[in-house]
Amino acid sequence: MILNANSVDSLVTEIQALSSSSQDLLELHKRLKDYEDVIRSQAASFASCLTQIDPSIHSLGYLYILEACTVAPVPEAQANEFIISVVRFIDACSVEQIRLVPDKFISVCKRLHEQVINLNAPMRAVGPLLTAIRKIQASSEHLTPLHPDFLQVCLLAKCYKIGYGILEDDIYEVDQPRDFFLYCYYGGMICIGHKRFAKALELFHNVVTAPMSTMNAIAVEAYKKYILVSLIHLRQFSASFPKYTSSAAQRNLKNFSQSYIELANSYNTGNISELKAFVQANREKFENGNNLGLVNQVVSSMYKRNIQRLTQTYLTLSLEDIANTAQIDTAKEAEMHVLQMIEDGEIYATINQKDGMVRFLEDHEQYNTCEMIEHIDSSIQRIMRMSKKLKTMDESMSCDPLYLSKVGRERQRFDFDDFDNVPSKLNL
Amino acid sequence: MASSSSSGLTFKLHPLVIVNISDHHTRVKSQAQPDGTSSASRVFGCVIGVQRGRTVEIFNSFELLYDSSTHSLDRSFLQKKQELYKKVFPNFYILGWYSTGADAEESDMLLHKSLMDINENPLYVLLHPLINHAQKDLPVTIYESEMHVIDGIPQLIFVRSSYTIETVEAERISVDHVAHLKPSDGGSAATQLAAHLTGIHSAIKMLNSRIRVLHHYLNAMQKGEIPVENSLLRQVSSLLRRLPAIESEKFQDDFLMEYNDTLLISYLAMFTDCSSTMNELVDKINIAYDKHSRKGGRAMFI
Repeated sequence: MILNANSVDSLVTEIQALSSSSQDLLELHKRLKDYEDVIRSQAASFASCLTQIDPSIHSLGYLYILEACTVAPVPEAQANEFIISVVRFIDACSVEQIRLVPDKFISVCKRLHEQVINLNAPMRAVGPLLTAIRKIQASSEHLTPLHPDFLQVCLLAKCYKIGYGILEDDIYEVDQPRDFFLYCYYGGMICIGHKRFAKALELFHNVVTAPMSTMNAIAVEAYKKYILVSLIHLRQFSASFPKYTSSAAQRNLKNFSQSYIELANSYNTGNISELKAFVQANREKFENGNNLGLVNQVVSSMYKRNIQRLTQTYLTLSLEDIANTAQIDTAKEAEMHVLQMIEDGEIYATINQKDGMVRFLEDHEQYNTCEMIEHIDSSIQRIMRMSKKLKTMDESMSCDPLYLSKVGRERQRFDFDDFDNVPSKLNL
Repeated sequence: MASSSSSGLTFKLHPLVIVNISDHHTRVKSQAQPDGTSSASRVFGCVIGVQRGRTVEIFNSFELLYDSSTHSLDRSFLQKKQELYKKVFPNFYILGWYSTGADAEESDMLLHKSLMDINENPLYVLLHPLINHAQKDLPVTIYESEMHVIDGIPQLIFVRSSYTIETVEAERISVDHVAHLKPSDGGSAATQLAAHLTGIHSAIKMLNSRIRVLHHYLNAMQKGEIPVENSLLRQVSSLLRRLPAIESEKFQDDFLMEYNDTLLISYLAMFTDCSSTMNELVDKINIAYDKHSRKGGRAMFI
């Protein structure tokens, strides 16, 4: 179809006319689908008409044209302009209209993400991508393909707090497995940056135990970080996998992270100098995995581990004894470590500075405040919601034909009570 | 059927009588033919008790045969029954008769008069068998007969009397038991717990509504819409003073700690329930989707 100024204008008028009510929008949607190829082939000339239509009212038409412009790679010179126009669109667009064509919206946002990384200015996309996610999400439990891009941009821009805000939503629906893996991996890294090791551990655990039919590079990297975070946070590492890990992961993950597992083993001995020597020896490997910072944190957490083990044996202890048993150099340093741990809430103790004695106390949470009541109550509500979801999932799983066929095959051939011919295979 | 009696007698009614009458009525109703002609057949019987001075106490009752053709009670049966009861309860006299229905009727006066040869002033106890949820009181009325002059003719008419309910310890236990009807098979622990909690829930609901009424009333009184009534205010304040007397901090701590313990236990219960559901779900997913998880073992069909 030959394009001329007339068809551009006609398209513009059509878009403007049909953007008012929902039936009109459906009509417009159909027509735009027909025009799609035309728009794509002549993207450049259509770009000029973007100024004539308003993104907040005519989001659907704007989106089509914008997406057509982004199909071709954007040249360097126009990248800046492009970013500005996309950001403006994301801020202004109307939610119902873009939900009619979610994949186009997502591809536009992905383009934005690429451009921003190319230009080395990740900060510019943090805000827009957050708005985009909130607009396209069906509910706050839904994982979109934009989540991992957003988290990656937050990581590059070091905006850990905003990224952490998104991680607090519980996710129940996932479209693409790859999105889920990336989301958890980046999410774990953001939590490490924000010093929330518990949540990081949970996210890495999700990656490692997620269902996968073949090995997955993301899972391998995540497993290495999982070992390190487990050593930092829990001060121990168990090499056995829970039973819901896929068999592919169970068999292969250990092969890829051999040196990390050895690190965990030498950590368990409690000998700091040995650990340091091991780290020094395998420095290169840790650097290649970009994990050297974490490994150093592991080493410093060794002191904490030793001190914590002391709380389980002694009621009071002098600072010199602590320094000796925990292999810390001086009593002064030991005092510093203990003080730090008391402040972080990892142990409960009092330091008597006059005679240098430390008394280890019990957790003095008496559970007799109204705040505790509210806390427990909100946890109970959360777990009730989750229990309902689990029950529906369980029921739907019991009706799953794949499950029924496998179970039917392995059923016992004869019932105990009757010796009639029980069919040994369920024909579905 | 006039207003209130002027005889000055106080009546005390035992719950056994009410249970007897209602039982009689229910039995007759359930044994009636499905295409029964009489929609609500009335039942009749005698009430017996003691009269001491001005107090009339109705202890017990028994049933009587009623001949609807002659509109009279079976006399010989009544005599026999009376003698039997006299042997067991020598103190009790026939105080009157009972019946079921919505209101006293003209034909009842004939029965009433016929009983006057046994007791010169018989009582008529009437039970209304239909359940009316809006009505808070018992559907039982006691009527006496009085001579009134109407249209120049002296006539006996029924007048309503007030009564109180009097219970012996044994009666209280049985009434309590009937009020908390438990499921017949004893139920599992779950149904018993549910019944118990439902009882508590309805009790709390009633308490809540009553307090709300009082609150509304006091508000209106404060705004001046209703004239201030000191006696009621005194009652309310005495009620308030009976509330928990301990306000110390130690009590508060212990109370909150117990509250938290209970919440923690229910949290733990939910947790366990969730874990078991998840465990089953994981097993099913492993069977369905993971190729090599079985390793030759046989799975139970759950």
